[in-house]
Amino acid sequence: MPELNFDKVFASLDLRIGEISNIDQFDEISKEFLGKSSLISEERKKLSSLSNEDKKNYGMKLTEATEFITSKINEQRQLFLNSQFSVQEEAEIADISIDWKPLRGSYKHVLSTVMEEVVSIFSSIGYEVAYGPEAETSWHNFDALNTPDWHPARYESDTLYLDKNLETLLRTQTSTVQIRHMEENDPPVYIVAPGRVFRSDQLDATHSPVFHQLEGLAIDKNLTFTDLKGTLEFFVKEFFGSDVETKFIPHFFPFTEPSAEVLVKWQNGEWLEILGCGMVDPNVLSNVSYPDTYKGFAWGVGIERLAMLRYNIDHIKNFYENDIRFLEQF
Amino acid sequence: MKILKSWLNDWINLDNISDDELSNALESLGFEIEYYKQITPNYKNIVVGKVIDLYQHPNADKVRVTKVDVGSKVYEIVCGAWNFDKGAVVPVALPKSKIKDDFLIDERDIRGVKSNGMICSASELDLWDDHDGILILDDLEKIGSDFSTVYDSHDSIWEIGVTPNRGDCMSHLGIARELSNYFNLKLIDNFKEINPKIKPVLKVNSGTGKKCTSYQSIEIENIKIDDSSLTIKHRLSSVGVRIINNVVDYTNYVLHDIGQPLHAFDRDKLFGTISVRNAKEDEELITLDNQKRALDKTDLIITDNNNPIALAGVMGGFDTEVTADTKNLLIESAYFDKVSIMKTSRKLNLISDASIRFERGIDRNIQTFGLHRFIHLFEDSDDITYSDIQNDTKDFDNKSNIKFNKNMIRDVLGIEIDDKFISKTLTSLDIPHTLNDDTIEFSSPSWRYDLERPIDIIEELAKHYGFNNFPSTLPVGNKLNNVGNYWKVRKFFINKLSNLSFHEIQTLSFIDESLNQIFNPELKSVNVINPIDKTQESMRTNLYSTLINTFIFNLDKHSYSGKYFEVNNTYDKASHSKYKSIPNQNYKLGILIPKKITDNNDQEYTIQDLASTLRMLLPKVQFSKLSKPGFHKNNSFLITVNDSPIGHMGQLSYATQHQLNINEDIFLAEINLEALEFNSLISYDYKPLSQYPFIKFDLSFKVPENLISQDLIEEVINLLKNNENQISIFDDYTNEKSRNLGIRIITRSYEKTYNDQESTEILNSVVDYLTKKFSITLNEKVD
Repeated sequence: MPELNFDKVFASLDLRIGEISNIDQFDEISKEFLGKSSLISEERKKLSSLSNEDKKNYGMKLTEATEFITSKINEQRQLFLNSQFSVQEEAEIADISIDWKPLRGSYKHVLSTVMEEVVSIFSSIGYEVAYGPEAETSWHNFDALNTPDWHPARYESDTLYLDKNLETLLRTQTSTVQIRHMEENDPPVYIVAPGRVFRSDQLDATHSPVFHQLEGLAIDKNLTFTDLKGTLEFFVKEFFGSDVETKFIPHFFPFTEPSAEVLVKWQNGEWLEILGCGMVDPNVLSNVSYPDTYKGFAWGVGIERLAMLRYNIDHIKNFYENDIRFLEQF
Repeated sequence: MKILKSWLNDWINLDNISDDELSNALESLGFEIEYYKQITPNYKNIVVGKVIDLYQHPNADKVRVTKVDVGSKVYEIVCGAWNFDKGAVVPVALPKSKIKDDFLIDERDIRGVKSNGMICSASELDLWDDHDGILILDDLEKIGSDFSTVYDSHDSIWEIGVTPNRGDCMSHLGIARELSNYFNLKLIDNFKEINPKIKPVLKVNSGTGKKCTSYQSIEIENIKIDDSSLTIKHRLSSVGVRIINNVVDYTNYVLHDIGQPLHAFDRDKLFGTISVRNAKEDEELITLDNQKRALDKTDLIITDNNNPIALAGVMGGFDTEVTADTKNLLIESAYFDKVSIMKTSRKLNLISDASIRFERGIDRNIQTFGLHRFIHLFEDSDDITYSDIQNDTKDFDNKSNIKFNKNMIRDVLGIEIDDKFISKTLTSLDIPHTLNDDTIEFSSPSWRYDLERPIDIIEELAKHYGFNNFPSTLPVGNKLNNVGNYWKVRKFFINKLSNLSFHEIQTLSFIDESLNQIFNPELKSVNVINPIDKTQESMRTNLYSTLINTFIFNLDKHSYSGKYFEVNNTYDKASHSKYKSIPNQNYKLGILIPKKITDNNDQEYTIQDLASTLRMLLPKVQFSKLSKPGFHKNNSFLITVNDSPIGHMGQLSYATQHQLNINEDIFLAEINLEALEFNSLISYDYKPLSQYPFIKFDLSFKVPENLISQDLIEEVINLLKNNENQISIFDDYTNEKSRNLGIRIITRSYEKTYNDQESTEILNSVVDYLTKKFSITLNEKVD
């Protein structure tokens, strides 16, 4: 029985595939080689006239040829497509340096960003956020904080007052929240209080009548000066990086004793003041009737100062002018 | 305060201490270093010369020509100063020398006469400010010698911050005392006896009041008002004191040396008894600066025969001041009450080196020593004729001893400090103390006002132990990762809005009252009584004005602005909801959306965008019409959540827009954040997802102008409440005849796939229901 010359068929298939210029031609070729009137289909019709043995052998050969042709066409179709895609991609060059619709930052004010970061650092070591009024009594701002009525900070040249008897004012420090919180809560206390404070200063490069502080207060049994050091060193390393050097130098605040200022060593080798702190003065604790078995420490940090250091911001005025060129940088 | 190393060296031997060590010591002891400089004058080619001839410049009236012998040579030098004669010994800057600020001196022609160098003044040599002429040196100085042998001004200067509790450190002696413990060096005892030769003429007492506890004086006769010595002039000018004459300079010197302010009176202008008392109302005094001062009962004054002659501790009187003609002196050395001096000095805005020391508290026991130091400043004190010291000192309340348990030290500081360290420290600080097994007993020395309680001694020990020598420990608080509702609510709103391209702003809390009046005429503003800017004395009653100001500011400046929000307080005169004695304050969120954010063609926002923003923030928000000053007649709404009013939103009225000169519509909202619970902000009503396909109808109704589409939507949701629904408005179009509202209903059953018949039934029931309920008509079936 004369068998189909498979090699000839395959050679002709290669030839036809080599001529293809359009993806649709693969379907035509498929029809030509495997369709009803293809050579293979013709041969298959002849199978019924063969002996069982030959039918089986030749039938198998035809099936193999069919599979071979099918896979060849599919493979070549894929290659053809890939080369088409390749040519298409070759021609598409996007200049991603063009910012058609600029999206800058999260539009959050940089002071909020810094406050949130500082709060989250202290939250991670067990502090909650406390909140107190901005228009306050002089008692909460000064007397309760061990600042007697002859103290220079109380002069009208520094403090903005709300009545002629100087009994109410715009708080000059977030330390007022220490008092408010302790009046309403029993110890232990672990709080931070970010917020606005006010001073009698014109808005310029280095001063603002409004600025932000974050007050911290920890009152518990057995808190000591080494705890104060460890807590604030933890904060500085979390905020400025673990390799930053800090030092504590003695200072004076009416409401803490001993009092210190914390300095960090900046890239240029300069030591910069970052915050003030100290062990809470016993008079403050007795002003809120806390039992003397409780002690603790407090600190205050300027938010604008942190922001200015971290982002090299030169003018405090920028924070309050809200120039959109400034707002969009963070 | 400025301190000189050479001056400190009078009190403590710092020869083996480097400047760096000294800086470290100062800082470790709590004196913040504001400034440090080594003084290294460049005296090359500056020599001592003698003026051997002097004549008028041939071509210039105002200068003279001198011939100056500098030993090796005689130079011809033109000089513009007139304060010397032939024979004067002077510093000469030779050609090619440099004076202050590296100014080069060389030969030059001055109107036809060649000048070979320059005769120098003190300020030209960077010694002190002196514009009266050239520096006249002692006749005995060797001609031709280098100027640095005459006066070696190598020194180091620190400007340090002294905290207000440490008045005792406002002098070189005070700083030296602190350093003596740090470096384990003994303070030098500079006490020297005096040798009075005359009897005092005037009677002196400290008055009957309690504000002057010691008044002491010494009288000096036939004094020659002259220049001070080079050393004193240089030291004083280095620490920032103006050079006047020997008497005034020496009083200033004693102040910076040991911290005792002195005052010099011209004795011949004083009469009778010198005393101290409070001024009477309407009394007046002309002070040294020739100003007439109105006094009152709080002012402490010095009197002669009961007439005011000086403001105690603050400023002397004009009529009794020392002048060039003064022959006889009375030098006052007194102790005045801190608070009294502070009040007078602040009230009159007269702040002097003396008043600063009195108001921080000077040593109660140093007045006599101050007069001794003064006398010994005269180069040969035997050459001056002075009286014995008159001293009227009252007993002051001697502070009693304070005793406390040594455990307190460890309880506060967290470390053990041994007895040896305690004893050594307190001894070298001259703090009287006794150490027992369990307790420490101490009393405070006459110069210390900050040692009244156990904690004060503990601080002292900690400071001298060195803060940086303490270990660090990290306690963990009781609110681990639990910041609380206030902060969570704040963060929730700030994060949501800032992520939606709203710019968060921070504006000042002060505002022009007229802006408060636009939006809150019903509220009384809180006013600052001493405002920084008179036009901004009100505290804002709302966040609207500052949002609008920011919008305008950027638009004017950049033709480009934005959508803004601010989270901050508003204030008004009503009483506070929680606390006594303070004004009402509310913690609020303010939002501004403009119709357009740039001048150019741009996306336009509407009041619906503001409403959508609010719905995104507060899914359960409800709006109901509420007119409000400053806002659009119709487009102004009360914001409620769960039936509680929490704020207001709307469109700025055209009148306000016009008044504020804004061209675009502005949409504003303000929400009080205080009542919001964070947990309710993040509580969501979950609806299960239906597994069945949706059916969708787009319906268009002819509706009345005032129909609220949300009402329509809610009715549909109610009708299909057993289904999963997405109901939205896809069109709202008004033509001349009517308003047409397109509503899209997408609904799914939780139980089955709807067939065509069921779909039609649902459609018909919705249309029937809505047309009856709202008296509206269906336009057409769009889908």
